[in-house]
Amino acid sequence: MRKIPNYFIRLFTICFLLFTIHYVYGIEAPSKVLAGDAPNDAGRNIVIHWQLSPSDSIIEGYQILRKAENETEMTAVGFMGKGRNSFTDDGTIDGVKYTYQVVAVLDSLQAPSELSNIAVSSQQWFHTERINVLFFTFIFTFLIIFYINRAKKGANLFVRKIAGLLAVDEAVGRATEMGKPILYVPGLTGISDVATIAAMNILGEVAKKIATYDSQLIVPNTDPIVFTVAQEVVKEAYTQAGRPDAFKSDSVYFVTDSQFAYAAAVDGIMTREKPATNFFMGYFYAEALILAETGASTGAVQIAGTDSVMQLPFFITACDYTLMGEELYAASAYLSREPLLLGGLIGQDWGKVVIVAILVVLTIIGLLTNLPVLNLF
Amino acid sequence: MKVRLPLFLVLITGILGALPFIIPHSIAQNFDNEFRNTVIRIIGAFSLVLGVGSIIRHHTYKITHKREHWQYSYVLLISLLISAVIGLFGGIDANGWLPTRIGSFNFDIQTLFTYIEVPLGATMFAMLAFFMASAAYRAFRARTFEATLLLIAAFIMMLGSVPLSNYIFPKLPSFAEWILTVPNTAAKRGMGFGISLGTLATSLKIILGIERGWLGGTK
Amino acid sequence: MTSVWEKLTKIDRRVIYFMLLVVIVVPLIFPFRLKPKPMPPVEKLFNYIDTIPEDKCLVVSVDYSPDTEAELHPMSIALLRHAFARHKKVGVLCMSLLGLGLAQDALTTVTNEFNSRAMSNADSIVYGRDYVFWGWQQPPLVPILGMGENIASVFPLDYYGYRTDSLPIMKKIKNYNDVAILVSIAGSAVPFWYITYAQTSFGVRIGAGSTAVQAADFYPYLNSGQVTGMMSGMKGGAEYEELVEERCNIFGRRKATDAMSSQTAAHIWIMITIIIGNIGYFAMRRRKK
Repeated sequence: MRKIPNYFIRLFTICFLLFTIHYVYGIEAPSKVLAGDAPNDAGRNIVIHWQLSPSDSIIEGYQILRKAENETEMTAVGFMGKGRNSFTDDGTIDGVKYTYQVVAVLDSLQAPSELSNIAVSSQQWFHTERINVLFFTFIFTFLIIFYINRAKKGANLFVRKIAGLLAVDEAVGRATEMGKPILYVPGLTGISDVATIAAMNILGEVAKKIATYDSQLIVPNTDPIVFTVAQEVVKEAYTQAGRPDAFKSDSVYFVTDSQFAYAAAVDGIMTREKPATNFFMGYFYAEALILAETGASTGAVQIAGTDSVMQLPFFITACDYTLMGEELYAASAYLSREPLLLGGLIGQDWGKVVIVAILVVLTIIGLLTNLPVLNLF
Repeated sequence: MKVRLPLFLVLITGILGALPFIIPHSIAQNFDNEFRNTVIRIIGAFSLVLGVGSIIRHHTYKITHKREHWQYSYVLLISLLISAVIGLFGGIDANGWLPTRIGSFNFDIQTLFTYIEVPLGATMFAMLAFFMASAAYRAFRARTFEATLLLIAAFIMMLGSVPLSNYIFPKLPSFAEWILTVPNTAAKRGMGFGISLGTLATSLKIILGIERGWLGGTK
Repeated sequence: MTSVWEKLTKIDRRVIYFMLLVVIVVPLIFPFRLKPKPMPPVEKLFNYIDTIPEDKCLVVSVDYSPDTEAELHPMSIALLRHAFARHKKVGVLCMSLLGLGLAQDALTTVTNEFNSRAMSNADSIVYGRDYVFWGWQQPPLVPILGMGENIASVFPLDYYGYRTDSLPIMKKIKNYNDVAILVSIAGSAVPFWYITYAQTSFGVRIGAGSTAVQAADFYPYLNSGQVTGMMSGMKGGAEYEELVEERCNIFGRRKATDAMSSQTAAHIWIMITIIIGNIGYFAMRRRKK
């Protein structure tokens, strides 16, 4: 057997050592490990930031170790992939002091950082990043209350004409003349939805007119709570119109909470009872066109109002009048002409003016400069 | 009292519902979660009883007074009774008190739902295609300048949302995308602002007791 | 006597419905395939999922019901094909009870496709290693906010009844920090919940798959970057299927693409009826003058 030359063995050994040395000393530890309480939370979170290891491109990632003040050993609490320089430890105990260490890991090789500063997690009572929302809510509330006070003092408040609401009287009158009922569909969402509350307000005003004209009202409901509220609203409306005897509790009833079963039921009511006027007020989903088109096929006058932007195009094509978005919310003020409600409406509009003005100003500032103040919004 | 108590409750719960947005502390967050996940569900469950009572009363009245189409009220009441009994006593996967399996024929509540309710719902949803066609035919008339613009935009969108547009004019899908991205987005953002502010204002008015229509009257 | 022009403005709706039925059914019997051209929102979503890092996963939220299955189910299948072809880890959950069966169907369909072609264990799609099906939790706040802290605590048992934290895949998926993107496929407002709660609170990227009607609502979010990419309607699903086939070389039944022929025919018929109605309208207007 040929003997391996000595020079070859020496050369191989040197290469092997160089490779090993490079491999071992190729991993460097991350640096500048900073730990701090996570802001604006309910506690039990500490955020750890670090500067990436110079060997970040070759390592697997970073293991995060933690030690509480009463512990002797570091415990692994998480692992982040390479290129990541922050980690949130969500298992801390409020009030306990912790230190952290971030270890760069490559296979069995590890390069630990220096220990971080001591960090303690705690709960905050105020979300500082939402101060802008609170500020504008106060501005908005102030404007509404200001105009309500002005309305109370007898100021003359102008509200533009809304065609759909002007047509309510005419629509109810038409149904009375034809001797046919009026169908009122209060939307498919629950009472916690503002659109449904607006629908209840309009129902009250419409029911008063119906009571005065002695017409018939049908109110099928898809939500049990809305059904109970609607029944009370209609009963109260009849009482206010001086016709409590004319109220029929069966005119307001619960149908089903299933979307398309409700649509089928209302379609059935429209084709059987052939109401002269249909009101669709509230939030609607895909069944909007089914209801509106079926109503159109029966020849009814249809007045719709929804804040569901998706369904507005369908109502606009299939109905005679449509209240869009906030016109629905304004309806109760518009129909009742109560000063308090009108004042609130004006205040709301001035709030919009304020927001638009801010948008225009900030857009100009944003186009011309890059001021930090823009980050507030 | 009949008016003041609900108004007071609304004031308190309205404020307590809004505060967790700016108070991250666990006291506020836990109260909010408890209220949403427990209290509201309990109220909803009780109100369902009222709803079912209403539908039974409504259709029983139709039957007893022989109103028009009273026979269908029998269908409704019998269906209601059957699904209630099967749902309450049959269990899911036929493991309740009431046997809901005869050989390989299942009639447990999941089967009823999957093979009756779901196809019926899908059928109603499918009807939208037909209603859209008739609504489009009736409504898209170029009566005014704005209506003409709407008509042109509708044509572009209808063509742009099918692959045929690539063959007619390669830029057409991009133009349809532009209509969605620019004018549509601008309009939706505007409407979104208005609706959000309207919601805020209406909520404030309800919390402060100014808007009382939901109580059953404004007085 | 009604003139021809007046008749054109008053075509019986039954005629319109019947012709619509014909133009929808005939292409299904005699299909013709039209190649969809992927639009930027779909490309963005595809490209982002394509470049998900190894230590992150894709979460698919199947939030639709059988009503919208025709439009949205192909999206789920295309997404899963893409993710599995690129060996991305996948977590699936549902915000809609009715979506559970559909999610199960999509997973079964796609895993069977891949496993029937697999040559080794590494090529196979194995439950618990390559994907996990968490199931359903009462929406919206409990699962959406809870997953920001610990997914296993929101879904202690997965859909099949296994302990979630015992699955190998869950060793690497703790919370939203380990989620590259969450794609919500819904015919309702569920993606908005994810944007409002998950993205605002935890910064997780959101993608959306929606019905064509609802797609317009997502463009403001797409423009502002809150939604990384989206598929809108059946065409969006067809575009994603096209990208998956073209770039991943994965071939399977393309339901959305197959349905494009019917959709095209239906749109053309609706445009024809609108043109007929307008011809009649203008002719009558001219006669009155």
